Amino acid sequence: MKEPGKWEPKIIAFLCNWCSYAGADLAGISRIQYSPSIRIIRVPCSGRIDPLFILASLQKGADGVLVSGCHPGECHYLTGNYSARRKFALLKNLLEHVGIEEGRVQFSWVSASEGVRFAKVVEEVTACIRALGPANKLIKKVPGGLLDVSTHP
Amino acid sequence: MSQLTHEIRETARGLLRDGKVQVVIGYECGSLPLRSRPCFIRKEKDVEQLVWNSFCEPSLPRYLPKRKGSVAIIAKGCDSRALVELIKENQITREHLTILGVPCEGMVDRRRIESDIGHEPIINVEEKGGNLIVRTSNSEKTLTRKEYLYDHCMVCTHPVPVVYDVLLGQPQGLKGSNDTFSDVEDFSSLSPEKRWAFLEHEVQKCIRCYACRNACPMCYCPECFVDASRPQWVGKSTELSDTMIFHLVRAFHLAGRCVGCGACEQACPMGVDIRKLNRKLQKDVTDLFHYESGCSLEEITPLATFRTDDPEPCMVEP
Amino acid sequence: MSKGETKLLQKERLEDFLKNLLNDFDVFGPVKKGDLLFFDRIKLVDDIVLSKRNTVNSGKDALFPQSEKLFAYRHGEKTIEISSPSLHRKNRVLFAIRPCDARGLLLLDNVFGGSLKDPYYCDKREKAVIIAMACDKPDPKCFCHAVGGGPCSAEGSDLLFLDLGDQYLVRAESSKGKTLLKNKVFQRMNKAARAKADRIEKEAEQSMNNGALKQARIGKDLEKRLETLFEDSIWDDIAESCIGCGICTYLCPTCHCFDIQDEAGQTTGERIRIWDSCQFPLFTQQASGINPRPSARERFRQRIMHKFCYLPQNVNLSGCVGCGRCVTECPVNLDIREVIQKISAREDT
Repeated sequence: MKEPGKWEPKIIAFLCNWCSYAGADLAGISRIQYSPSIRIIRVPCSGRIDPLFILASLQKGADGVLVSGCHPGECHYLTGNYSARRKFALLKNLLEHVGIEEGRVQFSWVSASEGVRFAKVVEEVTACIRALGPANKLIKKVPGGLLDVSTHP
Repeated sequence: MSQLTHEIRETARGLLRDGKVQVVIGYECGSLPLRSRPCFIRKEKDVEQLVWNSFCEPSLPRYLPKRKGSVAIIAKGCDSRALVELIKENQITREHLTILGVPCEGMVDRRRIESDIGHEPIINVEEKGGNLIVRTSNSEKTLTRKEYLYDHCMVCTHPVPVVYDVLLGQPQGLKGSNDTFSDVEDFSSLSPEKRWAFLEHEVQKCIRCYACRNACPMCYCPECFVDASRPQWVGKSTELSDTMIFHLVRAFHLAGRCVGCGACEQACPMGVDIRKLNRKLQKDVTDLFHYESGCSLEEITPLATFRTDDPEPCMVEP
Repeated sequence: MSKGETKLLQKERLEDFLKNLLNDFDVFGPVKKGDLLFFDRIKLVDDIVLSKRNTVNSGKDALFPQSEKLFAYRHGEKTIEISSPSLHRKNRVLFAIRPCDARGLLLLDNVFGGSLKDPYYCDKREKAVIIAMACDKPDPKCFCHAVGGGPCSAEGSDLLFLDLGDQYLVRAESSKGKTLLKNKVFQRMNKAARAKADRIEKEAEQSMNNGALKQARIGKDLEKRLETLFEDSIWDDIAESCIGCGICTYLCPTCHCFDIQDEAGQTTGERIRIWDSCQFPLFTQQASGINPRPSARERFRQRIMHKFCYLPQNVNLSGCVGCGRCVTECPVNLDIREVIQKISAREDT
């Protein structure tokens, strides 16, 4: 349970419509409990994800980003997640190379039937980011500006 | 006049005289010491403007996308690789292009020279047998050319053009370096905090002039992501996170396409170490996808294709 | 020969003078970062690097920064709090700015301090003391003399330093400068120093006409010629190599175009002013999709027209101070002097 005043991670989760989002939906229907840390954005395919989405999330105050798509070979659009896999590999390495903590941006494959697994993915990512603490690198540092840091719980 | 300059002029003369091309894009002497600059030669009599020296730094392939008509272009090794990538991306019609390949021994870092001679105004620079004789109003210094090459020239893997219609000069004996990406590994060995601090320090210098982007032969998008307004992805001020994102995303957009020509660093007036990010991506593209940009007209750019057995990034596996 | 009060400063005492300045002002001056010289904020005397070459950026940054927060707002409990951190700045000194750059400030004063005063610029400008360092050794890129300036010009400065070798000649050009001259580090002038100063000034001005330094005919002739040549084909390839970045305009001491960006969240936001450039395609891009300056040809022409025709005609000031930065920092070494020469030499058709 969330204690009042204690910081909890805010994670933006980009979920592909056909697999991961459906998997999250299944978790919901099955009443599987998991940390309310993720804010879901539904995209048609993990291949749709532009690195700008991930960077914009970090800039606007997300403590972490999760991108989840169909398992390789099971993409609704046949090959979208293969493209995504290449992009993720490069982006993940690049972000870690510039000093963004390993674990802030994570990727997973979750299928539509994996409701339980989705919850486990969220718990693992949340625990990882909770251990890293609030993000402080790419956040737009403008006092009184875009990010209302003072109301960050 | 060097032999290579002579060859370039004669080749250009022949092409223009025979009507094979409408314009020859090459280098001419700049208006200042240590500078050569792009020139567009359309008349036979003007070929005398063409030169080849250690200051031929701007990237010429940059002028080709959307250019109409038949063109001849002087291409160093890195430039020829940019041409390969541009051809693959359908930005150049190969049939309208005559590539005059020039084996390159590297270009000199003029800013380092200016700094090393104590920021005295330079009146004249002469290239003589592997040396640069730099004259100010009250001194003359002889510098060894090889010691003043740009960083990207030091790790050049293809000094001899990989594609050309005519190969000028003496390519024999000119070998590329064995690039082990030691610069990337050295940087990786620092702690994440140190790496971030270094990049913050670099990015703070950036004034968002976009010279790096505009000088790059591979940046030809009609609308760059920084100029998008619906939505506006990146703020336009020099705020640190905005500028960091500009450089990160531009590097990412060049993943597998950057040929390491260094035009970005040469163009930057503020001395930002732009290639830090591009080098990391270049190394990863080599390690993960076994691809070296600009070397093959058949190989598809890594981010435009995939393999079902691609290496997986570190995934969440609960 | 200026009538200002003149004194001498021994080079060993320069440090003391600078220490006094650092106590009373925010000081900006030439510094070295890596291989490059910049005009930047200085915290310690040792930060200052005095060299014969000019800095990459001009001193305009100190009064008209690249990014400036005009105001920020935040929704409070019952009110909206507005703050303008950019106003009410401390007094500042621009030390060892070059005469060309100091002269450029006069155009900025006209733009931002004319009939419509820009409070953000004026606040800093009124509190700024301009200490110029005259040039005795011009760079091949310099052409201040061709645009009405000079290596030892005092235009735009409050105090002018001239390097005499072992000491500086320091001349007050305004009441602000006179006040600074009261500092005990300064000594009385003497005849020998004045003679040496005259000689150095003369040599500096003469050397502007020597060697590689190009002459260009800039004046009323040029203004008229530019007007008649507006649609001329000379513009077709005069700037064919231009890559369309913003370096020339950003580093130019007189360029002053800016964009306003509003960045807002749910309860907070700010208005930021940032440098803009007529060389960017977006500068004249209209929402309809039409761009009246669709290519580098039109945009480059605009720059030349603005600097050498419109500004002189409208405000009787040169839009160019001949600092030569656009020549050295341009990635393709486009030389504005060569452009002017070509225009001047263009046969009347």
